[in-house]
Amino acid sequence: MGKERVLIANRGEIAIRIMDACKELGLDYVVVYTPEDEASLHAALAKEDDVGGLKRAFRIASYKDPNEIFSVADQSDCTAIHPGYGFFAENFRFARRAQMRSRPLVFIGPRWEVIKDLGSKINTKRVARSLNIPVIPGSDGPIYNEIEAESLAEELFFVQKEQGLRHPSVLVKASAGGGGMGIEEVFHLDAFRRVYRRIQNYAKRQFGDDGVLIEQCLRDYQHIEVQLLCSRHGEVIHFGTRNCTIQSAGRQKRVEVAPGFDPAVVEYPFDARAVLDRMIAYSIRLARHVGYDSVGTWEWVVTRDGSPYLLEVNTRIQVENGISARIARIGGKAGYPSLIKEQIRAAMGEKLGYRQEDISFEGTSIELRIVAEDTRRGFRPWCGVITRFEFPDAAWAQVYSHVPRDRSYNIPTEYDPNLALAIIWGQDTDEAKTRTLEFLNGVAIEGKDAQGEAVIHNLAYLSGRIEDIFKF
Amino acid sequence: MTDINLNDLLRGYRSNPFEERDFMTPHSGVITFLVKEGQVVNGPGGKWSHKPGTALYMLERERNIRKVTATCGGEVAKIMYELEGGFVEAGVRVLSVRHKLAKDEIIDRILTQVLYIFCAPERARYFLAPEIASKLEKQPQASLFVRPGDEVIIMSLMKRDTIINYDGASGVIYKTYFEPGNLVEQEAPLLGICPPNKLPYVQKVIHRINNEWED
Repeated sequence: MGKERVLIANRGEIAIRIMDACKELGLDYVVVYTPEDEASLHAALAKEDDVGGLKRAFRIASYKDPNEIFSVADQSDCTAIHPGYGFFAENFRFARRAQMRSRPLVFIGPRWEVIKDLGSKINTKRVARSLNIPVIPGSDGPIYNEIEAESLAEELFFVQKEQGLRHPSVLVKASAGGGGMGIEEVFHLDAFRRVYRRIQNYAKRQFGDDGVLIEQCLRDYQHIEVQLLCSRHGEVIHFGTRNCTIQSAGRQKRVEVAPGFDPAVVEYPFDARAVLDRMIAYSIRLARHVGYDSVGTWEWVVTRDGSPYLLEVNTRIQVENGISARIARIGGKAGYPSLIKEQIRAAMGEKLGYRQEDISFEGTSIELRIVAEDTRRGFRPWCGVITRFEFPDAAWAQVYSHVPRDRSYNIPTEYDPNLALAIIWGQDTDEAKTRTLEFLNGVAIEGKDAQGEAVIHNLAYLSGRIEDIFKF
Repeated sequence: MTDINLNDLLRGYRSNPFEERDFMTPHSGVITFLVKEGQVVNGPGGKWSHKPGTALYMLERERNIRKVTATCGGEVAKIMYELEGGFVEAGVRVLSVRHKLAKDEIIDRILTQVLYIFCAPERARYFLAPEIASKLEKQPQASLFVRPGDEVIIMSLMKRDTIINYDGASGVIYKTYFEPGNLVEQEAPLLGICPPNKLPYVQKVIHRINNEWED
């Protein structure tokens, strides 16, 4: 494995985390960056590693152009590609091309056939239904016809009224979307067409496919994730669950916590441990059925009565993978694991070398997404220059950021204004919460926008939501 | 929207009608130049600019060859010969062309000072609102009337779409200055709007330039 060179086809903090994982595994790496990301730390760190005549940072036109990625991979003699999350991470055509081209590259992720099976929400729903795994009521295929969509929405409104729901609503989603993008809620059938057209228009521009999904909007639920790690030798292991219920208005996660429920802190109207176990069992059932062979996240919603519904499967490393790793211990190994390293090992065909019985969990871990955004105005992204970004240095806190701290940083308008991910660990939930608040109090962010107005960030919002974790 | 001193503006353009335009690599690849310094190249031609300009250089990537053509005519001023045959990254300046401004370009530049210009509020990608886009496809540009508060533009910034309402004087959309989906710098013009009572003045300006400027 030592001879491998990995092309990191992503940006920001995930690119830095993959770089670190490669270095720890003794692998070489190359990064790409766009002109907008010239000042990003991931490009700067890679340029610093430009030694021995090997160039490690290549400027490309776009992270979304596969030809750019493969061209740099060939130019730099890479043998593998890590897609990170977003961009090509769940694109089966990209994974297939990597594996089938004349100069094949190892795609660090599941086999393309698996991505094809689970990368689409629609197909995932179909397969899940066939395995008696519960899914949210709604369309089980992309809808391209407005009349068909409206008719389904009408049916879903009717069913919810029959169920006695006071405020029924449906979700209109871009079927090719993900990460909370391209989703709107409709409260009245009269408003449906306008929203449908807007999402269809957005989907066509952003994802190149104007297929739209219609689903019943569940309320009063917890968003739970199951983290799986599978190898190409049939090993399937779970790394527990996470709770990602605290999200922005645009359904972007802002605070995540592992484990998914903590009955020691919150009294649930159902047997929380049994529900988590059911979701894990369902996730493993689906993973085994499709022959899953990498890291992956099974996303669920759990309603107040304890009913879980499968939302989708993310066939990639998840942003919040760090909190699952942070609470996990693998018997006989010091410290906590890195799921990115495990993902790379699995892609290189290695055996995991441990079993489910070897995994134990310790404490609670909370992830904070520090973002330049106005949480009081619909989480509106803020653009400008960050002049100071500092955070406390503590053994229980890890911070991943692409924002350089030795110079000003202009937030690119092409991407989300994420500044950092902070992972906090505590012996139990109360300690994790206390440490999280202590951490947030020590964060300093300064900057100005083009009009000279001070930076707007979500630190106060994050502090205000810590008490809400695990709660319905 | 202001009245202008057309004589001064035209005098300025006459004294120096040239502009040096840099050509950057649109993507990475192995480069081969197809022109020499001092060579005169043509921009796109034909009634609908459907004929591509002179091929300037080739970029080979993933065994696909792309010929990059001149987007404007002129004389090749400077070529980075040291890049020849090597792998170049995206966004690298590879040559420049000294371009003489054409009549239409002069009209466009002068009209930015005559029309009410609706500018980009942020550096972002812009699209015409679907209703406006479909109407503009069917109707001639000068007949589409916009009022303050109308949804005219969609700004795509940080992967989020924001509908931009028009906040200038009522008028017809006379000119669209951006290609939908392209990155537009902050304060760059998006739309040129002409109030109905100023239409004769705008037409007079265009008429004068057409008469007085020779390509």
